[in-house]
Amino acid sequence: MTRFLRILLAAGIVCGVIASAGGSLAKPLDIVFVNPGKTGEVYWDMVAQTMQAAGRRLDAHVEVLTSERNYRTMQELGFGVVARPDKPDFLILSNEESAAVPILEAAEAAGVKTLLLSNTLIGEDAARFGPPREKLKTWLGDITTDLQTAGARMANALIGAARAEKWQSPDGKIHILGIGGDEITPASIARNAGLKLAVDAAPDVVVDRLLFANWTQSEAERVTANYLGWASRKEIRPAGIWAGNDPMALGALRAAIAAGLVPGRNIKVVGLNWSEDALREIKAGRLLLTDGGHFLLGGWSIVLLRDYADGCDFAAVSPHVEVKTSAITRDNLASVGDLIRMRAFDRIDFTRFRAKAGRCGQYDFSLDALISSLPLPEGVAD
Amino acid sequence: MRKDEAMTDPDRDQQPAPRLRSVVHAMIWATVPVLLLVQLLASAGVEASSFWSRVRQLDARMVRVAESRAELIAEPLWKMRYDQVTGVLNEIMHDETIAAAVYDDTGAAIARVVARPDDQVVEISRPIRYSNGNMAVQAGRIAIAYSRATLYADAGSRLVLLLVVGLLATVATLIAMRISANVFIGRPLAAMMSAIQRSKQDGRAYPADVTSSNEFGQLARAFNAMQHTTSGALDRLGHMATHDPLTGLPNRRSLTERLAVASRDGGSPDTLVAFCFIDLDDFKGINDTFGHEAGDKFLVQISERLRGAVEVEDWVARLGGDEFVVIRPEVSHEQAAHAFAQQVLDAISEPIRLHDKQVVPRASIGLAVRRADDPELSHLPTLADIALYHAKSKAPGTVAVLDEALQRDYRRRRDLELAIPTGFAEGQFEVWYQSQVDLETHEVVSLEALIRWRHPEHGVIGPGEFLPLIERSGNNARLTRYVLTDACRALQRLAAAGRPQIRIAINLPPSELADHSLAAELRATCARFDVAASSLELEITEGSLINNIASASETLHRLRRLGATIALDDFGTGYSSLAHLRRFPLDKVKIDKAFIREIPESAEDKAIVGVIASLAGTLGLTLVAEGIERAEQAEAMRDMGVRFGQGFLYQRPQPLEALLQWLRRQPAVPGRGISESPSIAPEFAA
Repeated sequence: MTRFLRILLAAGIVCGVIASAGGSLAKPLDIVFVNPGKTGEVYWDMVAQTMQAAGRRLDAHVEVLTSERNYRTMQELGFGVVARPDKPDFLILSNEESAAVPILEAAEAAGVKTLLLSNTLIGEDAARFGPPREKLKTWLGDITTDLQTAGARMANALIGAARAEKWQSPDGKIHILGIGGDEITPASIARNAGLKLAVDAAPDVVVDRLLFANWTQSEAERVTANYLGWASRKEIRPAGIWAGNDPMALGALRAAIAAGLVPGRNIKVVGLNWSEDALREIKAGRLLLTDGGHFLLGGWSIVLLRDYADGCDFAAVSPHVEVKTSAITRDNLASVGDLIRMRAFDRIDFTRFRAKAGRCGQYDFSLDALISSLPLPEGVAD
Repeated sequence: MRKDEAMTDPDRDQQPAPRLRSVVHAMIWATVPVLLLVQLLASAGVEASSFWSRVRQLDARMVRVAESRAELIAEPLWKMRYDQVTGVLNEIMHDETIAAAVYDDTGAAIARVVARPDDQVVEISRPIRYSNGNMAVQAGRIAIAYSRATLYADAGSRLVLLLVVGLLATVATLIAMRISANVFIGRPLAAMMSAIQRSKQDGRAYPADVTSSNEFGQLARAFNAMQHTTSGALDRLGHMATHDPLTGLPNRRSLTERLAVASRDGGSPDTLVAFCFIDLDDFKGINDTFGHEAGDKFLVQISERLRGAVEVEDWVARLGGDEFVVIRPEVSHEQAAHAFAQQVLDAISEPIRLHDKQVVPRASIGLAVRRADDPELSHLPTLADIALYHAKSKAPGTVAVLDEALQRDYRRRRDLELAIPTGFAEGQFEVWYQSQVDLETHEVVSLEALIRWRHPEHGVIGPGEFLPLIERSGNNARLTRYVLTDACRALQRLAAAGRPQIRIAINLPPSELADHSLAAELRATCARFDVAASSLELEITEGSLINNIASASETLHRLRRLGATIALDDFGTGYSSLAHLRRFPLDKVKIDKAFIREIPESAEDKAIVGVIASLAGTLGLTLVAEGIERAEQAEAMRDMGVRFGQGFLYQRPQPLEALLQWLRRQPAVPGRGISESPSIAPEFAA
């Protein structure tokens, strides 16, 4: 088995070297993405857009099917794709609510290669199927973001700012409100865990509540208002608000303003997602930072599949590709602001992110790498 | 009847006092209120306990609600999803819940729901605890205010329902009790009561018509048994009241009823009713002779004969003593009635053996005949009694038919009897005197005081008619004293008229001989008029001696000791007992005028008078001949040795004044008058 793998690996390396050296694309790819999100849902829209932008750069036709946040629809779409006579080369799924598992199995049966994006197998499914390409031979792997680190980074930024401002409450502690999206999705759990990790390491910090706002601005605004009211009754000085995504951060901002606070000046708020609104708030000084960039997973996934198709299998390092996120603050806002605001993902040269020959599976998807991949004039102008 | 009155009297006394209170009503009044009360109390108790249990259930439920909501609310509260908190809170706003509120750990009201304002609010509060894997906190508390008003209203309506049901049940019970009590108690009691009242009305015993087998049935059977016993006793009593126990014949009371029935039934107007009033002659003698037991036997035999002598339709009764009645309800004419009475009398007169002696019963019958439709049919006994009186007084042992004359006599007798007190009061009684003369010298030796009644309507009535009436009315003593007083006064007049030697004779009725006070009174009266008792002669009859020999003898001796002369009147017609002449202290014997009337023509009478005269001579008794009307009679008497005479030949009885005038015309013969006295004197001395 090991021998076989080695042979395979060696063959792959050889192929990749040839492909890279050739600089030409072996053949156009047919990729289908079953989008679990809703049309207009910023993150998933952006995922799809970066995916398609990357496809254009990497000779892959990316078909996006939107399940409109209905997992049954998502499964039906997936089954439909798998059952097609001319099957696509790759099927990209997101295992939200573990709804992608039946599609994975169907694809396995149909011999359609799959890649999980953003949400991979968890819990029982993970245990049952083991690592990719074992029980599910066609499941190539997954590409996810390291959201825990993102959560911790956001928290630490918040704590650092509060400490600097000495926003301790009468009890001498820095009181923070956490707003999570939900309590069950791995994406949410990881961010929340990051928050906890950071706070646990800071004895002078207390998370008064970790509230859940269902990823939405309005709910976040409501719970934040409730929290602020409660905090004032408890004579707590709220130092910061940690929000699991940008809409919730924006809701928190609104609530804080409604409560008579001046975000940025006497309370810090952090978000995640790199959303346009967040970038605007950062620019206005009300939002401390927005972590993220993981919508780029769409583009990165096409990069992985292109390399795979071209013989440079990412599994040479690991079938689990984890992409670090990055924070956009007032400092680096200028570089990526327009890209995001304009959704000018075609400006990104995805070919530059492909694995170098002989280094299959080694990718640099960092913000810096991204910034450096962008054409300069626009970046300077912004 | 008297028994019935005795029975009804106390009832009449009791009736106004206690008002009748039905036992059924009393039972109902005693039980129904208790029943109602118990029912109401029980219902109220059950309802109260049910109410409290509901209250407790409600309280417990509200606690559960609060706790379960607290669990539901804990997470949204902790996570500050206050809209969800409000949503959950809204869900608990049910019937009883009035308001609910959730407070967070600062005490601020996070959510508050108010359904409606209410006064009767109960409030509970429970903590809201939140915990997850690594923490457990009290996130706040929930308070629920709820109302028990619904429970109160429910309890009220159920109480009203129970009350209504209880009342209905009570009414049903009442009706059932009334009906059953009437059937099982009221009706048997009423039946017995009715039987008692019917029994009270006519004195007969009626059974109560009760057929049930319960206690009342037993009571009724016992009552009926008692009624039966009473009925028998009443029948016996009734029989005893209406029948003579000795002979078994109906008695006087039955007679009254029988006549009432006859009067009511009437019968055909042409028929006659014959009523025979029978009186046995001398039944007293039979009793005295043979004893009362034999007397009873005698009466029984007589009653059997009477029964045998009559037809079925005839009716025989014993009125008491020796009086019987036979009624023949239908006779065609008076002669037939008389024949029937005679036939009855003949039947009675057959000899009867008593103590091996033949006794021939004798009876008198008074017969009265009246038409069946006579309105005065009930007077038949009285009418027959009149006839019987006549028979017994005039012709004992015969049948006397009531006729106009008898009725007239009866009415006159009754009138006179009723007039006796007035006669005394108004001095209608007069004493006349008739002289006794010496047959040889024609000198008046004494006067017999004879009573007359100068009645304002009937004129002067002789003693033969009214003396029996005086005796019957118990006025004998009064009349005797009346006569005695008059005689004493007459003696005074005679002495004043120069005839002190003339004595006066007074008739003593038999009853007076039994009177021990007579002698004392005689002496007192003589003393009052200052006349000597020796101037008085007392005339007695043999009959008065017979009735009470010892007492009569005693009285006579006393009188004689006072100096009065005793004369035996009417000798020869009665017992004419020679023994009497010897036994009693007699001075004089007056020969009855019956022996004088036919003298000198009748040789037999002359012989009798002769014997009497010789006997009197032997015994030393002075003889007086009564009823001398002709000179030949006087001469014959004189020839036979009779010294004194009395009669119309010499003088008719006259009032004293007339007699005194007559005496004045008679030459007085003092010497002779005195010479006669010594013959009596020795007796005097004795």
